[in-house]
Amino acid sequence: MSLYDVKLIDKLANGAQSMDEAIVVEGLSKRFRIPHEKKGTFYDHLVGLVKGGSYSYEEFWALKDVSFSVKEGETFGVIGPNGCGKSTLLKILAGVLYPDSGKVRMGGKIAPFLELGVGFQPELTATENIRLYGAIMGLSRRDTDEKREDILEFAELKRFENMKLKNFSSGMYVKLAFSTAIQTDPDILLVDEVLSVGDETFQKKCAQKIKEIRRAGKTIVFVSHALGTVRDLCERCVLLDEGQVVSMGETEQVVEEYVRMMQENESKGGHGIDV
Amino acid sequence: MWIVEYRELIRILTISDLKVKYQSSALGFIWSLLNPLLMMLVLYFVFSNVFRFEDKSFALYLLIGIISWRFLQIGTMTSMSAIVGKPSLVTKVYVPRQVLVLSTVLSSFISSILEFSVLIPLLLFFGVDLSFNVLFFPLIHVTFLVLVYGVSLILAAVYVYYRDLNQIWDVFLQAGFFLSPIVYPISIVPEKYLDYYMMNPVTVIIEMYREALLYPKTPSIAEIAFTLSFAGAMLLIGTLVFGRLERKFAEEI
Repeated sequence: MSLYDVKLIDKLANGAQSMDEAIVVEGLSKRFRIPHEKKGTFYDHLVGLVKGGSYSYEEFWALKDVSFSVKEGETFGVIGPNGCGKSTLLKILAGVLYPDSGKVRMGGKIAPFLELGVGFQPELTATENIRLYGAIMGLSRRDTDEKREDILEFAELKRFENMKLKNFSSGMYVKLAFSTAIQTDPDILLVDEVLSVGDETFQKKCAQKIKEIRRAGKTIVFVSHALGTVRDLCERCVLLDEGQVVSMGETEQVVEEYVRMMQENESKGGHGIDV
Repeated sequence: MWIVEYRELIRILTISDLKVKYQSSALGFIWSLLNPLLMMLVLYFVFSNVFRFEDKSFALYLLIGIISWRFLQIGTMTSMSAIVGKPSLVTKVYVPRQVLVLSTVLSSFISSILEFSVLIPLLLFFGVDLSFNVLFFPLIHVTFLVLVYGVSLILAAVYVYYRDLNQIWDVFLQAGFFLSPIVYPISIVPEKYLDYYMMNPVTVIIEMYREALLYPKTPSIAEIAFTLSFAGAMLLIGTLVFGRLERKFAEEI
């Protein structure tokens, strides 16, 4: 069990939470400080001290008081324009970023799909990379080896299991990455627009697999610009704008709200969106 | 506990670190063992001629000093960039970040064991009687491992924010090299400074290695207690500092 999990379970035990909620987010805020002058060394700080300039920075709230909860087995969409805080939210859920205030409770093992092929090394073979990924997910060697066949089969790469990753085509690479990530058997999946990988057949297979995972009662948080897929997959959605929750509820209503928001923006000269 | 849950990742990262280290040079493994031997020869030549140390086991004295110092030097220097060097494991996915530091320290630890094991035939060759005191070696080496890991946690965490820390630490290491009894015997340290001199835990650890392998003499309880508690304190401080600074790694990296 990871440290982060321990903290989460602690929070779980302390908070009054009903059993069927997989994710509870309460009053989550995240602030980024963007310094006017990047000081990355002791030397820079010394020079700064001598010059006597004050340490000035711009504050940017990526998330402001965001609250929602996701039920176990639910597929939950997060939508919003670029820079609305979707990715920050997902990174906090994944445990990569720490919030400045607020609480996150997650019940179960998380598999983040923030990017495909995290930790993959070009000098290693497909099999070795699968082992490495399994280890990153905290699986034991035995568990990973048991899943290896399934992963290679799903990726249609059985023939290339001993080939070094650097010799893979980019299509083969993402197939392997997706298959590895999907087979780690998590309770909660965090997906950041990575479904559109590989050729069309493989995409269909992926969509199929996601649906299968849904049927198996796993919780999925899905971040995407592709409203079609969101409509297709998600039961409920939250719409974020400038780090705040604009609306939340049934997917259909939230997506409509988003489209309306975008159209208003467009008529004001903002950027549009494909539906 | 993260060490148990992520043992497989620690194992893989440690092995791949060792592979990179030994495959990147032409002579590979041999070269990394030659390095301390050649350094010993240079220092032996300089110090036995210039300073006229007459002790006939001075070569071995030097070699033990060099090998033990190398663990601290290489261990801390390489693990300083453990976090910065693996950005995707910090920003794209959650793994306990201590895993990254621990695996680089472990790889240096294993290299150090290999270097020490080359020392054993040399000791026999020069007619040193290896006594049961050799059995203290694992205890001493693990104590040193804990100390190096504790220091590395602090360095790796601070390095994320201050990228010129390696320059500063390099100077510290240079100073430490001459403030520890590596190239000269402790007997040349003036009496009035000796108490302060022995407060350096690395000095005590190097002397303990020599007691176990060379003198032979049983390390005293006081020495063991002092080094163990210092290593424990470093581990605690390192863990606290790392835990504090870790929260913004993904933003700063």
